[in-house]
Amino acid sequence: MTERRRVQLVVNGEARTIDVDVRTLLSDVLRHELGLTGTHVGCEQGVCGACTVIWDDNPARSCLALAPQAEGARIETIESVAAAVAVGGGDTGFAEGAGGLGALHPFQRAMHELHGLQCGFCTAGIVMTVVAAERAGWSRDETLDALGGHVCRCTGYVNIRAAVERAWQELGLTR
Amino acid sequence: MRSMHATGVPRPRYVGQRLPRRNDGRLLRGLGRFVDDIELPGMAHAAIVRSPIAHGIVRSFDPSAVEGAALVLGPSEIDAATHSVPVLWTLGVQLQTSTRVADGRVRYVGQPIGVAVAGSRYTAEDAVDQIVVDFEELPIVADAEAALAPGAALLYPEYGTNVLSAFEAGDSAEHTDTVFAAADRVLRHRMHLGRIAGISMECRGIVAAPDPATGTLTIWSSNQAPHAIRDAVSEVLGLAQHRIRVIAPDVGGAFGLKDHAYDDELMVCLAALRLGRPVKWIEDRSEHMVATTHARDDHVDVEVAYDDDGRLRGLRLDAVRDTGGQFAIFGGGPLFTMTGMVPGPYTWDAVRSTAKVVASNRTPLGAYRGFGQTQAALVRERTVELVARALGTDPVELRLRNMVQPEQLPYTIRTYITYDNGDYPTCLERARVLATQFPPAPDDGRARGLGYCFYVQMAGIGNSTTNQLIGLGIGGHETATVRMEPDGSVRIYTGISPHGQGQETTFLQVCADRLGLDIDRIELIANDTNSTPYSAYGTAASRSMPVGGGALVLAADKIAAKVKAIAAEMLEAAVDDIVLVDGAAAVIGTNVSVPIARVAHRAWQGFSLPAGIEPGLLETAAYDPVSATFSYAAHVCRAAVDRTTGEVEIEHYAVVHDCGTIVNPLVVEGQIHGGIAQGLGAALLEEIAYNADGQPITTTFLDYLAPVSASMPDVTIEHIQIPSPHTPGGMKGMGEGGTNGAMACVVNAVAAALPEIADRIDRTPLSPSRLWELLQSAP
Ligand code: FES
Ligand code: FES
Repeated sequence: MTERRRVQLVVNGEARTIDVDVRTLLSDVLRHELGLTGTHVGCEQGVCGACTVIWDDNPARSCLALAPQAEGARIETIESVAAAVAVGGGDTGFAEGAGGLGALHPFQRAMHELHGLQCGFCTAGIVMTVVAAERAGWSRDETLDALGGHVCRCTGYVNIRAAVERAWQELGLTR
Repeated sequence: MRSMHATGVPRPRYVGQRLPRRNDGRLLRGLGRFVDDIELPGMAHAAIVRSPIAHGIVRSFDPSAVEGAALVLGPSEIDAATHSVPVLWTLGVQLQTSTRVADGRVRYVGQPIGVAVAGSRYTAEDAVDQIVVDFEELPIVADAEAALAPGAALLYPEYGTNVLSAFEAGDSAEHTDTVFAAADRVLRHRMHLGRIAGISMECRGIVAAPDPATGTLTIWSSNQAPHAIRDAVSEVLGLAQHRIRVIAPDVGGAFGLKDHAYDDELMVCLAALRLGRPVKWIEDRSEHMVATTHARDDHVDVEVAYDDDGRLRGLRLDAVRDTGGQFAIFGGGPLFTMTGMVPGPYTWDAVRSTAKVVASNRTPLGAYRGFGQTQAALVRERTVELVARALGTDPVELRLRNMVQPEQLPYTIRTYITYDNGDYPTCLERARVLATQFPPAPDDGRARGLGYCFYVQMAGIGNSTTNQLIGLGIGGHETATVRMEPDGSVRIYTGISPHGQGQETTFLQVCADRLGLDIDRIELIANDTNSTPYSAYGTAASRSMPVGGGALVLAADKIAAKVKAIAAEMLEAAVDDIVLVDGAAAVIGTNVSVPIARVAHRAWQGFSLPAGIEPGLLETAAYDPVSATFSYAAHVCRAAVDRTTGEVEIEHYAVVHDCGTIVNPLVVEGQIHGGIAQGLGAALLEEIAYNADGQPITTTFLDYLAPVSASMPDVTIEHIQIPSPHTPGGMKGMGEGGTNGAMACVVNAVAAALPEIADRIDRTPLSPSRLWELLQSAP
């Protein structure tokens, strides 16, 4: 039996308190304690980038942190990136299939338009890295370099790079 | 009516459009539902007990020290409760036609031998750590060479050999000898295609949920062929198929790896049935690298006979596949496919292969994107470049000189396979033009070379009887059901099992055009054995469009015919004058029409239907293809190699290809990109390695190098579209093509850049250290 610990953190703007086994990975806290299953786990070895979240404004691998290390942290996950849009309303495109495309971040929209995802398993991690890069004011080339921290087995990366370029153009970040 | 040709025949509105995928939204928002996202009341968690040694006999399995587990099953309990798992492809002389889930022996590190179930994944893994297993260690058969050595230890003593199957393909020995004797020259070389892992980004996983109240078992698993999973669970656990429901939720990549139920997944099902409660098991990455099937590991000795004028005469292969500890579902199938497709686009006088599939103490091999056709392309296209080099001729010219010409098609190659149609020379010549448009090489001191690959790919595999004739125990057809609802909206039910290939969009494009409907009026239902028609393949073998799409066209056309018959009665017109366009059934050349929704309503209410027309709009069609389809492509790329480090960069890449009618170029291009990345990875980076004790030493993404963004160049793609003469709708299939072309293309480019070692490149991957060593020993 291992020890349990109370951990307080802010997830997607909401204060959360959890009571977990100290060895629980942050990725498991997000996915299985808080039900935020959009964060994916591809290796638990800190290499593939699928589990990337934004931690106090920096991209971080949630599989490499134990829950207690996140005490007091501000965590953002994929679920917070696109504004929530009511089902069937506005331009969610309910007819376009569940989830819709309303209120996506420009990079998410470019990923859709340019076919930057196939199975979609790696996608959340990539979106979190790119969103953090945009916020930090990274150039297009710095952001393309940051893709190096992500493994995608489906797309061959060509269209993901194109999506970064399109998003940076749209956002007026053409450095 | 803008969407009509002058003839009045509706112009395709959706087929051919670059339509972004309709299911992207939820994946981009993190709202996908993958197997590990599933939570059920009362669910327990499993961890798998795996062999830490490469070869041995389980002497004892002792769970007495385990605390807090709900259930532990060891090899003897599992063996007693399971039937054998059939191997579904029998080739030549084949000793292994089924395998046991747990026979008390271990034949590779990572082999599952037991399962522990507890309240959480963490505690289940604790339980596994507390189980004490005692092994009698056996001598290790490290690889195929060791397996074939005289006096080698036997993985299956009862077979008396490590050769699980042996077969021949193509021409007779006598004919081939005659052709070789008559040729001006003969060249020999070897190629070992290194062992790789398919590495879907989502590892495997399963939730097995028995319902004691109804006696049914529902399974969610990360798989690409739900009906095949159900077949296996039924067979191995002895449950009737109608009591099993298999669902593939969102699946994070499969590439062939997830085409069957693995032994560990069957153990989880057994544990769930024993406990009468849902059990989840999620594979981790280190497990994935040892317990999910590997690929390639083919050793091929090649002899080619040719004339001084560049005429290719004969090709002789002697191939050994190191298939690891046991056969997976399709046995030696990839090696058989390699020997069948190795002739490629050229007009040989003789092609003959002898082949052996050999057991060793390594992870079993299974299906992986390319399924032998990547190997066929590498072996042949490397050979062609070596011949060009020996003759001092241009390798593109040599290829063109020996190519099957368009007017020779349909053309039967030496291995009795008949290609359908196409224009191979034009395709290759276009690639040569695109290569001239690569930017000039910077003067940075690196060596550069252009590499080509031309392949013909068998896609749309079938028909069923042909499968049967070649020992493949699954049919080659697909079935689709199209159901038009009373409001005129449509559901398509398919046995194809999409997991990233975009059928949620492309199948709708096909159907919308056949029925003259807006695409928003159509939905695809897939990935659930309870609602979809049987499919032995699911999504695999580049056959979703040519076979699954073909079935969809037939089923949609049946609905269209019925809608037209009812509309004709409503409009008092002749059936042949009705066209379906823009949501209406219209009389051709007039402005008389009726909304399809009204026709559908009438059909389902059964009001005033024409004589002989049954109420309802529900049609099913099976499509058993006349023949396989044959897509093809020319790949060309430029490699830049740093001679001081052996490091390779693929700078530029172009593809010209024909996969028949293209439903959605955006999706096709995405498949090509992803396929190239996998072929490039196998050519340059990826390698599963073992030490002498049979211990795998590449179990993380730090040791096993998958391509990253920097590995992959941008790709110029040019489409040729010559519709298939067989498939309803004209599609030929192409999902594996990128991989098939890329491996040889990249290897050839590296060899072209480094002429001093080009003759001695005899294995993949061409890692920096391997190239550096070759360069150091260059004369
Ligand atoms: S799951 Fe965290 S880096 Fe792969
Ligand atoms: S889209 Fe499948 S791994 Fe990236």
